[in-house]
Amino acid sequence: MDEILRGGIPYGSTVLVAGTCGSGKTTLGMEFLVRGATSGEACAHFTATEPSVKLLENIRQYSFFDMKMIDSGLINVFDMDVLYSWLGLEKASFDLQDVYALIKAIVDIVNTIGVTRLVIDSVTTLCYKIKSEQLIRDFLFTLGKKLATLGCTTLLIAEITSATENAHWSSFGVEEAIADGIIVMGDVERMGHLLRYLQVVKMRGTQHSRAKYAIELTPLGVMLTPMLKWGALNDRAGSWGA
Amino acid sequence: MIVLAHGVLEMFELDNGIAEQLTEISLNSAIQVRCGNSNAFMVTASTMVPLIQMFEMGGIYISASRGAVEIIQAFESIGIDVSNIHFIDLVSSGILGGTDVPYDNITFIDSPIMLESILLRSLYRLRTTDNPRNFVLIDSVNALAIYNEEKMLAEYLHTFINTFRQREVLTVILNIPDQVPPSVLSNLDLYCTDLIDRGQVVIH
Repeated sequence: MDEILRGGIPYGSTVLVAGTCGSGKTTLGMEFLVRGATSGEACAHFTATEPSVKLLENIRQYSFFDMKMIDSGLINVFDMDVLYSWLGLEKASFDLQDVYALIKAIVDIVNTIGVTRLVIDSVTTLCYKIKSEQLIRDFLFTLGKKLATLGCTTLLIAEITSATENAHWSSFGVEEAIADGIIVMGDVERMGHLLRYLQVVKMRGTQHSRAKYAIELTPLGVMLTPMLKWGALNDRAGSWGA
Repeated sequence: MIVLAHGVLEMFELDNGIAEQLTEISLNSAIQVRCGNSNAFMVTASTMVPLIQMFEMGGIYISASRGAVEIIQAFESIGIDVSNIHFIDLVSSGILGGTDVPYDNITFIDSPIMLESILLRSLYRLRTTDNPRNFVLIDSVNALAIYNEEKMLAEYLHTFINTFRQREVLTVILNIPDQVPPSVLSNLDLYCTDLIDRGQVVIH
């Protein structure tokens, strides 16, 4: 990834990782945290799509991950449901006040622990509770700005489907507008087989590659190679959500 | 030497000329090894044995022509230990029950059309090996050509060879020339640094 980005994600950026189901978004997010934790950075993961216990159980299969990083507090995993409960936000939809309470809670956690790498998985699940597009925009913009001020580099994981992929790189059409970077992940179908791919669409402050890369989720982490150009003639978007 | 192939006892001797030729080759070389239908295993073994025994190399064997178990057992039957070699099997996933095997040095890939996955799995295996010197062997281009379009295969081999040459991993590409599309073959001639030609003469 650092090679594709010609160095890496700029410090303090908010990056949207948009992808279809099973495309490797969570693994990429977790690897991003592990690489930071390995060099001594404090990291946090807010999980809204699955309970933290299940997330950690799934991620244990990767040899790049070490449970000691959790035990030592280098990687902190928070269940969004627990956070909602603390904040008294166990409701179907959020208003402006709720959104600001949520931003404050996340920023307070980041500030208290000194988090420099953060993953929110997924921002789509979180934004489902925010009914107005304007409020979603405010939420993401304010959160991104506050986190950047704290020097925190953030990955916002977003779920997309084929319909949204053609039009936008996000479910609500506003996430990509506020992000400093956009990484798209998905599947291409080649003669009935699904190949995972990753493409950096935007990354402010870098001379990044815009090519499409095939990826494999190996125990050592996400590995990439450029997709075959002649393959693209016959490859089509995977039918599972892409 | 005796080898049990397809249930038939055959006599063959390793081709020492191949071992001699291999002594001249550096790690960042890409060797095109041409063989025929009837001498394919002899040529493969004559290439593999010096790499494993003389040069003490580890490596990756990408099996597109036959299942990895069949290849491992063929080597075992001539007394060659290939436990230090990791096999990437592109054949057995297409057969129900084909991946239930008693060897742990095999990775299965669903299909020979997943060319990028083959490259990435090979790179992953090389990153996990302790061997200081490694090779990666494709068996064979003609098997890959059954499933992959000519231009895509030529592009893939170009990427494949350059990827491993850059990493100082010896690349060995087996092919039966008269079963390989002409443009792929001419590209192999161009990209490979060395040629071991044991392709049989075809009289038309």
